[in-house]
Amino acid sequence: MKIILKYILTNVKERKARTFVMLLSILLSAMLLFISFSIGVSYESAQRKMARGMAGSATVSVQSVEGGIHADHIPALPDIQTKAGIVEGTSLYHENGYYETVDLLAADMEALNQINKPRLIGDGEVTAFSGNQIILPDRFTSKYGIEKGDTVTLQINGSPVDFEVAEIAAYDTVFLRHTRGATALLPLETIKEVLGWEDGYSEILIEPAPNSTTGNLISELKNALDNGKYRVSEVVNEAQIAADARQKSMPFFLISFFSLTMSIFIIYSSYKVITLDRLPIIGTFRSIGATEKTVTCILLLESLFYGCTGGLIGIPVGMIVLKGILQGMGKSLSQGIEIPAVISVPGVILSFAVAVIVSLFSAWLPVCRASRLPIKDIVLGTAEEKYIPRPLIVGIGIVLFIVSALLPRFASGTMLYLAGGFSLSGLIAAAILVIPVFTNLASAGLERFYGAAAGNEGRIAARNMKDNKNVTQNITLLFISISAIIAIRVVGNFVTTYISDVFHGAELQGFADGHMNPEFVEQVKEMDGAEKVLPLYVFKNNVQGNSEPISRLEGTDNLEWYNSMFALHYTDRLMSEQAALSFASGERAVIINEDCMKRGGFSIGDRIMLSNGTSGNSYVVAGSFKSRATDVEAVIPSMYAVSDFGASDYDLLAYTAADPDAIMVQIRALFGETSNWSRTVEEFNNDALATVGAFLQPMHSMTYFILLLATVGVINNLLINYIQKRRTIAMYKSIGLSNRQNRKMTLIEGFSSGLMGAVIAIVVSYMEIQTIFLVAGPQISMTPELDIWTFLVAGTLGIIVTLLGSIVPIFKSRKMKLVEEIKFE
Amino acid sequence: MNILTEEAAIEGKNIIKDFQLGDTKTRVLKNISLKVIQGEFVSIMGQSGSGKSTLLYILGGLDVPTSGSVFINGMDISKFNDEKMSRIRRQNIGFVFQFYNLIPNLNVAENIMLPLLLDGKKMRDYKKPLKDILEVVGLWDKRGHTPRELSGGQQQRVAIARALIGNPEILFADEPTGNLDSHTGAEIMSLLQRINKERGQTIIMVTHSPEAAKSSSRVITVSDGQLQ
Ligand SMILES: Nc1ncnc2c1ncn2[C@@H]1O[C@H](COP(=O)(O)OP(=O)(O)O)[C@@H](O)[C@H]1O
Ligand SMILES: [Mg+2]
Repeated sequence: MKIILKYILTNVKERKARTFVMLLSILLSAMLLFISFSIGVSYESAQRKMARGMAGSATVSVQSVEGGIHADHIPALPDIQTKAGIVEGTSLYHENGYYETVDLLAADMEALNQINKPRLIGDGEVTAFSGNQIILPDRFTSKYGIEKGDTVTLQINGSPVDFEVAEIAAYDTVFLRHTRGATALLPLETIKEVLGWEDGYSEILIEPAPNSTTGNLISELKNALDNGKYRVSEVVNEAQIAADARQKSMPFFLISFFSLTMSIFIIYSSYKVITLDRLPIIGTFRSIGATEKTVTCILLLESLFYGCTGGLIGIPVGMIVLKGILQGMGKSLSQGIEIPAVISVPGVILSFAVAVIVSLFSAWLPVCRASRLPIKDIVLGTAEEKYIPRPLIVGIGIVLFIVSALLPRFASGTMLYLAGGFSLSGLIAAAILVIPVFTNLASAGLERFYGAAAGNEGRIAARNMKDNKNVTQNITLLFISISAIIAIRVVGNFVTTYISDVFHGAELQGFADGHMNPEFVEQVKEMDGAEKVLPLYVFKNNVQGNSEPISRLEGTDNLEWYNSMFALHYTDRLMSEQAALSFASGERAVIINEDCMKRGGFSIGDRIMLSNGTSGNSYVVAGSFKSRATDVEAVIPSMYAVSDFGASDYDLLAYTAADPDAIMVQIRALFGETSNWSRTVEEFNNDALATVGAFLQPMHSMTYFILLLATVGVINNLLINYIQKRRTIAMYKSIGLSNRQNRKMTLIEGFSSGLMGAVIAIVVSYMEIQTIFLVAGPQISMTPELDIWTFLVAGTLGIIVTLLGSIVPIFKSRKMKLVEEIKFE
Repeated sequence: MNILTEEAAIEGKNIIKDFQLGDTKTRVLKNISLKVIQGEFVSIMGQSGSGKSTLLYILGGLDVPTSGSVFINGMDISKFNDEKMSRIRRQNIGFVFQFYNLIPNLNVAENIMLPLLLDGKKMRDYKKPLKDILEVVGLWDKRGHTPRELSGGQQQRVAIARALIGNPEILFADEPTGNLDSHTGAEIMSLLQRINKERGQTIIMVTHSPEAAKSSSRVITVSDGQLQ
């Protein structure tokens, strides 16, 4: 059988364009998949780094329940690698009425260098750091134009203290944080002095020994320490970080999913042509005794070659691209956070395996069909693929479509993910099955329309799309590409908004956080252009509900505004009215966020005791909600905040206005030198974007790869198509089709298949998006906005691509040697 | 010879055809002139590779001669542009090939009507001619079928019907029986003969079967690029 192998190898060499396209598609897919895996992991590690912030490699924190803690309070356990005592405080930086929280941090530098060495701009070391000196991150200094050697003034405990900027550090290690504001490093002696701290450290961070685990260390410390006097805790919630990272890598996996689908289709359709091409030789060899199996094996061997080569090249290329992407991420954060590329071995193995399996599988279907053909038909050249849209297939398609659309609605838990995966692939598979029939129906409809609009050529063009497998193949590829682009864009935009715009859907345009008496609020209400002004009483950590601590309780006199200002999503719609009625009736009612409901074991209609230790009362739970715009846990009518908990001044004010910036300037002026944290939503979002924007960059870069793959697919189709189409065009020309008529028909056909592909893509991607959000839904309290333009633009792009694609055959067929096409079979 | 006095349906003058294959140029047709009068049924014979098909395609306007001219209805078609040539193909010429060359996803009636449709005619105005021609070729009850549901002989009859639907001056056929068994081939030949006799259709046919050539009124032989 060497001879067949040789024949196939020559074929690979001869069909350079086709081999290249197949190889490129599988290579891109392997690369995208690998990047998706790695970016999730890299993302997670960067995320973990940020969440750990000052703790660095320390994972356990020990604090005293009251007062400070000394290093020698910690027992000398073998599982402890390093202990770093730190003192923390807080201060306010103030410029032009703009306040920013600056957390102060000091530690014994030797230990800090062990667990989390500060990285100075200019690569120096921290030396001779004493007196009123400060080290600030460049993210902070660049924002306010502060240089090394400048003096900055911080408000500490209400009084201003001047510091000399000793060094500027990269926004990295101790300076990393996942909350707003900045962290500043002070000398240990200085911080104790300015804070009036005398008793050791405020916290001791502990790095576990290399062969120990955080969990072990925590339990050992808990055993060794008096639990009444010390609190041992984990620095960061690892599970939370992992969940976060998973959510953020969702778009990347989505991109891989679509790229794989496209690869399957590209290889499948190429193979259909390849095997058809090779039927004569297959027949010849079958007729001289090669078994079905041998033929299948040899053809599959070739696809194995594509899979392996694609994986072997794709993964290293993926590593390079990943490095580039991550570097781009670091760069676009001018603060210079470094995100190391984490290359996961399972990621490598899995991407390679998928590349091989996908190319084998996609080749297997057509090859199997070819090797099963009767020898006689092959030898006589009468073997031809039957192309009949069978009702059974359409039936399966429709059922699959409905099942795929509905399944995620009825699944929950882990099953939800399985159902989601099934649904995503099922929708595409169903569409592929239904496309032939859809094309036939559409072409029948278009036949009349084009007949009227473009005469006989239009009619023939429409008619010609019926039962035409080239056309359905084009439509299929187009729909997969367009729906991929739509889904990725929608999900990508969603993730961007989700991460960067916590106030999305909330009505407020600005807020002021600080002490405000009723007079202050009146003045804000009087301001020119102020619309809704909503002052709130705030109780932080001093009210309990049935002894369950409530981290934040607010009192409002206008629940309706509150709902819209902070985009509260009630657990169910009726609850919103119920809550409004309760608040309006003057009874003691409370609405509670879903987390707190769960934690306290409350249910709607319960009466719960809200108390602050000295006074309290019974409130009826009138509703539950979730919201991304506020971390409030419970809301009560303001009159009871006053009567039950003695509120007098407001602590938060949300507003809407014709010009939010103008109001903000006046609010800042009103606060004067009083500390406050006041931002317009726009300012707030800009701050937030500076941190997360970098993470979103790679997602956009990946979208271009998908576009590239889609283009590769379209080109592949054109190659396949043109070979088959040439003959048809020649036949038409031999009976008198002129070049002008050919142009007209080809353009009509191109436009129509583009249109059909776009229509199907819009429907399918809409369904896919529904599935994606159903699956991701339980974790997100925000509904996606579907921008009709995304759909229309993608659809139009698809039509344009197809039209451009049909220009090639037009030009080629102009110069076609008619006789050669017709004469030789 | 009375040929000179009768009206010529088609006339080729000093046709020369060169093919460039790599560096070598081969002259396939060496100065051929011929005239076919209306109502004639001419067979072109000759050995394989002698240039029969090349001559036929040049006469039928599918290919252009290196030099020389072809006159149909007194017009020199070798000088025509694509638009004019396409119209000649739709209105004045019908072609039948060895491999039928039907459009696979159009049905029999649509395939037959194609030249008229391309000529801007309306399907409904040609119900009668369509029915007539379908009856001539004996495929009236197969009119809704697609080509792949037909046998080779049936497909060739569709091709003949398609070539005839526009009432062309000349029907060209390149080995129309070449892909058929002898029995079916004979049927096709008698169909062509009938069309020639009953409708007075001018036919120029390439064949290498002496049996097939017997149906025709004149046989010309191409050998070494020249007429014998
Ligand atoms: N497109 C072409 N390019 C080069 N040579 C050709 C081409 N078409 C035909 N020929 C050559 O011209 C000669 C005549 O071909 P053809 O007219 O098909 O012969 P016939 O139909 O008599 O068998 C052959 O030698 C053939 O190889
Ligand atoms: Mg020939």
